[in-house]
Amino acid sequence: MSDYAVLNKKSFHLSTGTFCLVIACCATLLLLSLLVYMTLVSWPVWFSPGPWGFLTGTDWNPLAAPPQLGIGTMILSTLWTALGAVILATPIGLCCAIFLAEYAPSWLAQLLRPVLNVLTGIPSVVYGFLGAAVLVKYFEITFNMASGESLFCASLVLTVMVLPYIVSASESALRAIPLKYRQTSLALGVSKPYFTLRVLIPLARNGLLGALILAFGRASGETMAVLMLAGNTMVLPSSWFSKGEPLSALIALELGTSEVGSLHYQSLFAAGLVLLLFVLSINLFFTWFRRDRRNEVGKP
Amino acid sequence: MKLRLMLDFFWLAIFWAAGLLLLVVLFGILGYLFYQGHTSLTQDFFFSSPRGLPLGAEGGIFPAIQGTLFLVVIAVFTAVLPGLATAIYLAEYAGKSKVNTVINLTIQCMAGIPSIVTGLFGYALFVVKMGFGISLLAGGLSLAIMIFPVIVVTARDALQAVNRDYRWVGISLGVSRRYLLSRVILPQAAPSILGGLLLAMGYAAGATAPIMVTAAVIATPSAGNLFEPVMALPYHLYILFSQQISLEKAYGTALVLVLLLLTLNVIALWFKNLKSKGA
Repeated sequence: MSDYAVLNKKSFHLSTGTFCLVIACCATLLLLSLLVYMTLVSWPVWFSPGPWGFLTGTDWNPLAAPPQLGIGTMILSTLWTALGAVILATPIGLCCAIFLAEYAPSWLAQLLRPVLNVLTGIPSVVYGFLGAAVLVKYFEITFNMASGESLFCASLVLTVMVLPYIVSASESALRAIPLKYRQTSLALGVSKPYFTLRVLIPLARNGLLGALILAFGRASGETMAVLMLAGNTMVLPSSWFSKGEPLSALIALELGTSEVGSLHYQSLFAAGLVLLLFVLSINLFFTWFRRDRRNEVGKP
Repeated sequence: MKLRLMLDFFWLAIFWAAGLLLLVVLFGILGYLFYQGHTSLTQDFFFSSPRGLPLGAEGGIFPAIQGTLFLVVIAVFTAVLPGLATAIYLAEYAGKSKVNTVINLTIQCMAGIPSIVTGLFGYALFVVKMGFGISLLAGGLSLAIMIFPVIVVTARDALQAVNRDYRWVGISLGVSRRYLLSRVILPQAAPSILGGLLLAMGYAAGATAPIMVTAAVIATPSAGNLFEPVMALPYHLYILFSQQISLEKAYGTALVLVLLLLTLNVIALWFKNLKSKGA
C-alpha cells in the first residue's frame, strides 16, 4: 500500500525544471504565433498590390474604388524620424555614457542612474504631450511656421526618449573594456581625455555602434510621440522639416475605423508586419553585433 | 603642449556638461509638468468623473485612475506566473544549452516588439477573434504580452545575481533543487524580483498604444466589468490634448500619471537597496 502510494506520487511528479521549460516554450511560441498570425491576416495584401507595390507605393487610399495601398510614404517617414532621432541623440548620448563610465564621481553616477531609469519610465504619451504643447508651440511662434508639427519635431522628442537607452547600453560597452588599458595609459602619463578619445572609444566601437542600432530600433517602433508630433499627412516627406505619418501612427489612427476583414484592415496588418520585421531584424542584428564585440574584447 | 592641455580641458568640460544635461532634462520635464499641472491637483480632480462639454473639460479623472489600476492588475496577474517560470528556467535549469539561447533571443525580440504591434495583435486576437470586444480584459491581456519580457529579464537577472555559494552549499548538503530554489534562492532574489514587477507595472500603466485599440474609450461611467471598455490615464491624456478639450486638465492628468510612475520607481529602488543591505 505504502509502496503503491509512493509510486503513485512519483508518476504525478512533474519536475520544476520541466514545468518551467514548458512555460518558456509557450512564450517562444507566442512570439512565433504573433508573427504567423499577422502574416496570415495580411496574406491577401501581399498578392493584390504585390509586396513591391505595397512597400514602395506612395498612394494610400484604401477606401477608393480600386483601393490604393502603398505605404512608401509611411516607411519614409518612419526612417526620417528614427534616423533623425539617433543622429541627434548620438553625440549627447555618447558623451553622457563616457561621463558616467569614466568621469563622474561615484556619488553623482549613483544619482544619475536612477535619473536614466525615470527618463525611460516616463510614458511616451507624456513625452508626446509635452512635445506638442511646448516644442510645437515654440516652433510655430519662433519660426513662423503655419503648424510646428513636423518630422523634425518628432525626432527631437524621440531624441530625449532614446537617450537613456543609448547612455546605458554605451556605458556598459565602455565598462566592458578591461582595466589594464586604463592602468597602462595612466602609467604612461597619458591624459584622460586623450585616453578616452584615442583608446577607449576605438576599443568600444562595436558596443557603441550596437547601442545606436538598438536606439534606432526603439525609435522606429515608437508610437504615441510620433502620432502626436509628426503631423500625420499623407504627403511624401520631402525633407526633415515636412510633415509625415510614420507606420506606427498610421496603424494607431486607422485601425479603429477599418472594417474587420476588409482589405484596409488587412493592409494595416501588413504595415504592422513590416514594422515588426524591421524592428526584429534590427534587434537580431544588435545581438549579433554584441556577440561580435565580446569576442573582440576577449582577444588579447 | 599648451594646445594639448586646452583640448583636454575642452573635452573634460563637454563630458561633464553632457552628464549634467541628463539631470537638467529630467528635472526640467518634472518641474515644468509640476508647474503647469499642480493647480489642477484638487480633491475633486482625483475623486470625480469627467464633466462639462466637451466631456472632460471639467471634473476629474477618477474613472481613468480606476481603469488604469484595473488594466495593470490584470496584466500583472496574467504575466507574472509565466514570466517567473520562464525566468527560473533560464536562470536555474537551462545552463548553456541551445534552448537557453533560443528562449533568450525570443524574449529579447519580444521586448523589442513595437507597442502598437502588440495592440494590433491584441485587437485581432482578443477583440475580434475571441470576441471580447473593446474591453478591460482585452486591454489587460495585451498589456500582459507587452510586460512579459520585462518580467522575465528582471527576474532572470535577479536570480542570477544570487550568490553562487548558496547553490554550492545546497548541492553539497544534498538538498533537492526544488527546495533550494523555493527556500533559499527565491527568497534571496525576492526584493529584486518585486522591484522588477513594479517597473513592469509602471510600464503597463503608461502604455497607450496597446490600449487605445483594445480597451480605452473617452468616457465610461463605471469601471471594473471585464467585458466593458474602460478609461485609462494615458489615453485620457491623449484625448484631452488631441481633441483640444482642456490643456489644463491634460497637464493635471500627465502630472498624476508621472507621479504614479515616480512612486513605483522609488519603491522599486527601495526594494533594490533593501536587498543589497541584506546580502
